[in-house]
Formats: sequence, structure tokens, C-alpha cells
Amino acid sequence: MDIFLQQLINSLSVASVTILIGMGITLIFGLAGIVNFAHGEFLMVGGMVTWLLVMAGVNFFIAMFGAMAAVGVLGYVAERTLFRFTLNRPMNGFIMSIGLSVILQNVVIKALNEVQKSIPDPIAKVWVIGGVDIIAMRAIVVAITVVVVAITYFGITRSRYGVALRASVSDQDTAALMGIPVRRYVTGVFIYGSVLAGLGGALMIALFPITPFTGSVVIIRGFAVSLIGGLGNVGGAVVGGLVLGLVDALSAQYGYPQWTDAYSLVVMIVILILRPQGLLGGTLGPRAT
Amino acid sequence: MTLLQVEHLGTAYGPVTVNRDVSLTVGQNEIVTILGPNGAGKSTLLRAISGLLKPRSGSIRFDDRDVTNTPADRAVGLGIIMVPEGRKIFADMTVRENLRLGAYARKDRDAVEEDVKLMESYFEILAQKRGAKGGELSGGQQQMLAIARGLMARPRILLLDEPSLGLSPKLVKDLRAVIMDVKKTFASAVLLVEQNAGLALTVAERGYLLHNGRIVASGPISELRDDRLMRDLYLGNTPQGH
Repeated sequence: MDIFLQQLINSLSVASVTILIGMGITLIFGLAGIVNFAHGEFLMVGGMVTWLLVMAGVNFFIAMFGAMAAVGVLGYVAERTLFRFTLNRPMNGFIMSIGLSVILQNVVIKALNEVQKSIPDPIAKVWVIGGVDIIAMRAIVVAITVVVVAITYFGITRSRYGVALRASVSDQDTAALMGIPVRRYVTGVFIYGSVLAGLGGALMIALFPITPFTGSVVIIRGFAVSLIGGLGNVGGAVVGGLVLGLVDALSAQYGYPQWTDAYSLVVMIVILILRPQGLLGGTLGPRAT
Repeated sequence: MTLLQVEHLGTAYGPVTVNRDVSLTVGQNEIVTILGPNGAGKSTLLRAISGLLKPRSGSIRFDDRDVTNTPADRAVGLGIIMVPEGRKIFADMTVRENLRLGAYARKDRDAVEEDVKLMESYFEILAQKRGAKGGELSGGQQQMLAIARGLMARPRILLLDEPSLGLSPKLVKDLRAVIMDVKKTFASAVLLVEQNAGLALTVAERGYLLHNGRIVASGPISELRDDRLMRDLYLGNTPQGH
């Protein structure tokens, strides 16, 4: 049982990174209507920026904010120079984003190299709670994710900006008639989702080494998470991340761990067949009337 | 004094021309109607004035400022508020959230809460249903909410697109009183677009008759009521021009 608990907490920290990337995708896809297949590379860039800063002697937690800012700027530039022109043709945007992901991968390989990068444990403590060894950094990753999820959830459901955002998603024209600058909200959501990818990258490199190819692995899980939960639904991304985390934990303990990704995708397929709108239900992106 | 001045306005959706050479004015605190049969281009004209649709030609001036190419979200800040056809209530949001959204562009947040209460005391049904989702309201209740939501923006001109559509005769009577009060109590001009002449002819001071995208008659309501085209299009005689 103790081993299972440890495994569960380890899985929760991995699930946290998955939740962050899934939440970014779910917001950008479900609310801004943009399918950004380069979102995984955004996370990878966040991890690389963290690595560069930490190697330059910057404290990890400051480097984490640096990664969020850098990927936020990357998202802003990508939205203003690329995705803004494909808003009415999401399929074109999707294809373009595949190109963007290849470019980002190769730019990173050119600028650095293909070798995997890691940083020393930012906090190398182990807490023992009730006989269970908890690696401190993993607990901190979970805690940061919980805070970010809470901020995002209440921001969307309670704040004035969240209400305006949801109004823009359900009916662009009528939202504009309320005086809501719909375009600016689309840009804002894209930047916010990108910042989450930057944070995910920083937290990921705090847990494991990453390579320039990490993005293409996490993007599949990210889309799985957002589809399992329901597009545009923050709670859904959390549920989706936890479902995949649980599958990870169980397969690592009781199944064949090398099949983890296959289990996750089978779970996604089964859920989408039974509930096409996702477990918690989602949007279909902004619609013009 | 002229508040809204539309001159030689032309609109189109892609290659399809809708309005041609439309000129009209609305004075400060005046109730003006645009009448016309289905497909005359009334809604398109309102979409252009509200900023949802960029005009092809001509100009729109509001309060001596050129607003021809001002997008809707900025036109709202100037006081040009449209209540769209079909109410377009945010169905998943509560009545109160809908009201507050109407005041999105306003900077005076404290006064907004007072205005929410004002709307709830003026439209009693909105107080009773304040926590209900917009989609749970009946058609008549949604129309009142749509107008109240428009008033939350403190309009200088309220553009109403077919507000009587689908309402019972009793509700149309209530609506008439509300429109009069938009002018009196809320001190806003009204540009009322209607297919149904009944409401428009009793509430408006002046009117324009739109047909095939053009204005074919205009004048004070008393004159418009007796206009020959008006009679042809509305009052039972065989419609012409089809």
C-alpha cells in the first residue's frame, strides 16, 4: 500500500504537467478556436529557457517565471503574425501549427543540440509523511499546479473578464455589441495558454530530462487530456489529467509500464466514443452567427 | 439636433448588394422607425450602423464624429447600442450576468450595480428571475432582458431590431410602453426596425420605408401611414415590386 501511495504521488506530479499542457490546449482550442499543434514545442521551449537560465546560475523559481514570460512572448508573436490570419479557417491554422512545431524543434536543435538536458534538483529534499516518502520537488509541482488551476477556474467562472470571454465564445457578434473586444480576448487566451505551456516546461525539466523532441510526445497527451475532459473546460482538463495520471500509476504498478501511452490513448478513444463531448462537456470554439 | 446621420450608405455581403444609397437621420431623443417587408435590408442596415458590418460606400456620422468604419465594440463606447434580432440572450448565463455584460464597456463600476437594481425595479420579471439562466426565460421575458441589457450600456441611441417578433399582442403593448420610456426615462434616441407596422406606427415620430435595400418613402408617421407605397406593402393591398 505504501508503494502504491508513493506511486500515486509520483503520478500526481507527472499528471500536473499533463494538466498544465492540457489546460493550455483546452483554453486555446475550446475558447479561442485555434488548434495549435506546436503547443508541445512551446512547452519544450519553456523547459529549454529554464535550463539556460539555471545553467547561467539563476535560481530555478526565477527561471520558471523567465520561461513563462519567454513562452508568453512566443505565443503573442505566433498569434499576431500567424494564427490571427487563420481564425476563420481553423484547419489551415492547424496545418500551419504543424509546420511551426517542426521549425521550433529545429531552431532549438540548431541553437543548442539534440542532447537531453537536465537541471540539478531545485529542492533535493524528501519528506516522510506517515511512512510515505514524498520527494519535495514533486509535491511542490503538484502544489503549483493546484494554485494555477484554481486561479484559472475562478478567473473564467467568476471574474468580469471570464464572463466576457465566455460570452465571446458563445456568440462573437453579440459579445461585440456588449462592447467586448472579442479579438483581444482571443489573443489574451492564446498568450495565457502559452504561459501555461512555459510553466509546464519549467516544471517538467525539474522532474526529468527533456530533449528538443519532448514536445511531440507531450502534445498527444495534451490533446487526449483536453478531449477527455471536454474542450474549453478547465475542470475537464483536470479530470482528464487525473484520469491519465491514474492510468499511469496503475500500469506502472500492476500492468506493463511500456504500454502506458497505449493505455492512455485507449482510455481516450473509449471515452470519446461513449461521450463525444468529453466527460464534463465542452464547447466547440467561438462561433459567428 | 441630429444625433445620427447616415448618408448614401451601401452595404453588401460578399458579392450580394443589400442596401443602396440609404440616407437617414435620427435626432437627439427621437423615436424613428425603419419599416419594410422581409428581405428589404433592414437588419443589414442596422448591422452597418452598429459596426458589425463594414459599409461598402457612404458614411455614418454620430454626434458629429465619423463612425463609418468604427467596429461594434468601440461604437458601444460612444453610446450606439444595438438590441439584435432574436434577442441573442446569453443562454448559459444568469439574468444578472447578462445585465452586467451590457455594461461591459462602462468605467463607472459602482454605478453599474445601481443600474442593475434600477433595471430590476423597472422590469419586475428580471428581479424575480435574477438567478435563472437566460435560456430558461420565455420569449417575452428574453425581449425585456435584451432591452434592459442594452439600457445597461447607457445608450445615446438604442437600435432595436424586430423587437416585436414572436410576441403576443399583450406583450407588444408592454413593449410599446417600454420603448416610450427608453426615450422619456432613459433619455435615449431609438431607431426601431420593424416588419410589423402595428407597433412602429404607434410608437415612432418619424419613419422610413425600406424596400429592396432602398428608402422608398419617408416622413412623419402621420404622413407615412397614408403613403401609397406604405399601403401597398403593408395594409392589405397587393404588394408591388416582386
